[in-house]
Amino acid sequence: MKLLTKISLVGCLLFGANVVIADEFTQETVDEAHAEFMSVVEKGRGLFVDPNLGSNGVVCAQCHPNGANTHPETYPKFQKQLGKVAPLWEMVNWCIRNPLEGMELDADDPDMAAIQAYIHYERRGVALAPGKK
Amino acid sequence: MTSRRNFIKKAGVLAAGSALPLSVVELSHANTEDNFTFAFISDSHIQQIKGNQFVQNWDRGLQRAVAEANLLDPKPDFIMYGGDIAQIGTAAEIDHGLEIMSALRGKTHYVMGEHDYYLDLGEHWSKRLGDQYYSFDHKGVHFVVLNSIVTTEEWTNKWSSGEERMGVMAGLDDPRGSPFMVGDVQRAWLEKDLKAIDDATPIVVFSHSPLQKLFANWNFWTDDAEQIQAILGRFDNVNVFYGHVHQIQYNQIGNIKFHSAMATAWPWPYPNSYAQATNYMPKLTVPMNRADPFFERDATGWQFIDIHSGKADLQYILPDNDDRKLAYNKDTGRPEDTQYQVKQKASQKHY
Amino acid sequence: MRSTLLLISLLFSSTSLLATPLGLPEVPVPADNPQTEAKIALGDKLFHDARFSSTGDISCATCHDAKKGFTDSPLSVSQGIGNLEGTRNAPTVINAAYMKTMFWDGREPDLEGQSAGPFVNPVEMGLKDHNPILDIVRTDPEYVEAFKAVFSKHGDAVTMTEVKKAIASFERTIIAGDSPFDHYYFGGDETAMNESEIRGLQVFLGQGRCVSCHTTNQNTAIFTDNRFHNIGIGFARVTNDVTSIVQAYQHSKKQGEDLDVAVLTKGNVSELGRYVVTDKVTELGAFKTPTVRNVEVTGPYMHDGSLETLEDVVNFYNNGGVVDENDPVDPFTSGGIRPLNLDDQQKADLVNFLKALTSPEFAQSAKK
Repeated sequence: MKLLTKISLVGCLLFGANVVIADEFTQETVDEAHAEFMSVVEKGRGLFVDPNLGSNGVVCAQCHPNGANTHPETYPKFQKQLGKVAPLWEMVNWCIRNPLEGMELDADDPDMAAIQAYIHYERRGVALAPGKK
Repeated sequence: MTSRRNFIKKAGVLAAGSALPLSVVELSHANTEDNFTFAFISDSHIQQIKGNQFVQNWDRGLQRAVAEANLLDPKPDFIMYGGDIAQIGTAAEIDHGLEIMSALRGKTHYVMGEHDYYLDLGEHWSKRLGDQYYSFDHKGVHFVVLNSIVTTEEWTNKWSSGEERMGVMAGLDDPRGSPFMVGDVQRAWLEKDLKAIDDATPIVVFSHSPLQKLFANWNFWTDDAEQIQAILGRFDNVNVFYGHVHQIQYNQIGNIKFHSAMATAWPWPYPNSYAQATNYMPKLTVPMNRADPFFERDATGWQFIDIHSGKADLQYILPDNDDRKLAYNKDTGRPEDTQYQVKQKASQKHY
Repeated sequence: MRSTLLLISLLFSSTSLLATPLGLPEVPVPADNPQTEAKIALGDKLFHDARFSSTGDISCATCHDAKKGFTDSPLSVSQGIGNLEGTRNAPTVINAAYMKTMFWDGREPDLEGQSAGPFVNPVEMGLKDHNPILDIVRTDPEYVEAFKAVFSKHGDAVTMTEVKKAIASFERTIIAGDSPFDHYYFGGDETAMNESEIRGLQVFLGQGRCVSCHTTNQNTAIFTDNRFHNIGIGFARVTNDVTSIVQAYQHSKKQGEDLDVAVLTKGNVSELGRYVVTDKVTELGAFKTPTVRNVEVTGPYMHDGSLETLEDVVNFYNNGGVVDENDPVDPFTSGGIRPLNLDDQQKADLVNFLKALTSPEFAQSAKK
């Protein structure tokens, strides 16, 4: 009985104190993560309309206003222009290379993450449909 | 031998409906003196990179349309150009576009687009091409050309430079833009211009923006659409042709039939492909199939219009696709797609 | 020579009922023309029979020679009876079984349909009609027995339908994969191609833009989209007179002129390409995408055989659809063709990759 009380007392103390337990999301962490994400979305939007992404001044938003018609929810999928099943970033690179006549980005380039973040953000709420032709 | 014969026969039947009339056009309608054709090319967006270097994709698109239009036999009576010949309206871009257009055989009338206008409020455009809005008559049809992409004075004047202003308007999805309109001055002019014309005269209106309210996000919009439609409403037979949207659209409001033009440069997605905004698209028209960006002419094209007794049949000539034909249907009293609606061919939805 | 021919034919006929080569899908076989050993052997015999020509010395194999990648390399355009020249380069029979249409302009929908045309073309076998062929197959004892065994038909019941089916059956065995590329890409053998060839593959799939028309899949590659494109070869010859050429052609067509004859005897009409089959102005000057398998041995290249080497081909595409980079691009050229900005290394690698598409059966015919 004594031991149990001691343990439960210690337990109360532990939980009573203002210690943040791992895996607990506070409003603060949620807001912070969202802000981080939106800052990258904004950066992606900037790249989406950046005439220097390619070499001829053409920007993504010219053919994809508000990221429309990029269908990020269908990736990975068989992409005819690449001859294989590919994830979204490879198709982004195809567009940078071809209509924008520019240099492809590495998959782990922060710019590529930003572009993808913007594309996905503009398509939020649409159900996943991977592989859809 | 039989398989090949059947094959060719089938192709011949298709040809009647969907091929460009390279041989003698059979205009099988009454009152042949009132019948005529014209070509309609739009939205080339000639874009300068630097100096004498222009985006070759858009150059090629306009060159293709011009080369195909020159094949028309019999020749069309004239050619209409639907606006946005340039991308940011510089003299270099407008001049380069007009140079490509100069290979066309025939008289061309031009419509102002926002990409031509907002850099210098159409100064260079007008220097080369004349009035920004005007009218003319041709074989019993009254043609009106409007500059329907102006906006409020306040918005137009608030920018620090023409370049800045053009840069904002050049972004289709830029939220800092402002809705297009025809405006008071032109509406007054239009009323005066139409005053003496009786209701039975066929009217054809060219404007860059749709003269309807379709999708505000991308300025598929004319703010005083209802007022324009009211002015045009008394006529028995009105056809509106507009550019700007870079896709196939058609609609009918009362006696007014609306038809969009394809761009020679690049296609735009339909507004309902943007998940974060509602849109008021007309109950379409079968939309175009999704384009393959590898084939740079896919989902681009130009138009050929056949006016017979004031009714307009419009054929979309699409370089990498089957042509689409909107023929006026006497029974339903509206333009209908001959392949997708009349023959009930299923349209595709692919990504 | 005879024995080599027999050997190659045997090689193909014996593999006809074996597993599909690496990198190729299953051969599509129409329900009304199933493969049998006897039918294939009959088709083989018909394919090599020079009696089916007005001069007695031209057979299918004359222009589709197994020793030359089933073409008549190095001829630019084929020569028929009396060395009469046609207008087009002989396509290879290898892997033609995967094509959805036959001929450069796709005017026949299948191998059966294609096989009957050359016999009665004035610049190919030159027969006035198919009767001489039917006379032979209905009376030559070897043929009589073969047609009876394969189709259970004899005498007048043996028609061109049976002849076409047999030839098509034989052609369906002329398939070849198993190239160094196949072993590398589908077979998981990283040593199958050398570094230059591997770089060339990346060019093919990337900056070279080849893969969009010369298509590959996850597990197989036939390297054709089965579509028609005007890539800028030869159309400059007719581009300034297109309206009058088309009008003249439409006029002759109305008077009953045979398409097959027109395209091979009239250079202008030949350049119209797919247009003559579909009447679509968007297909003016458009020709079918051929496969690139075994290109090393099937030159010269393009519908008119105007590009002699693979280097010429790569330069042509790199220039954006013109032979000389200062030539203007024809406005009817497909929107898929644009300058590629490949450097010399990339061009050389690409050529090496194309050579890595040669199947082992044809490696000997390749010039090393």
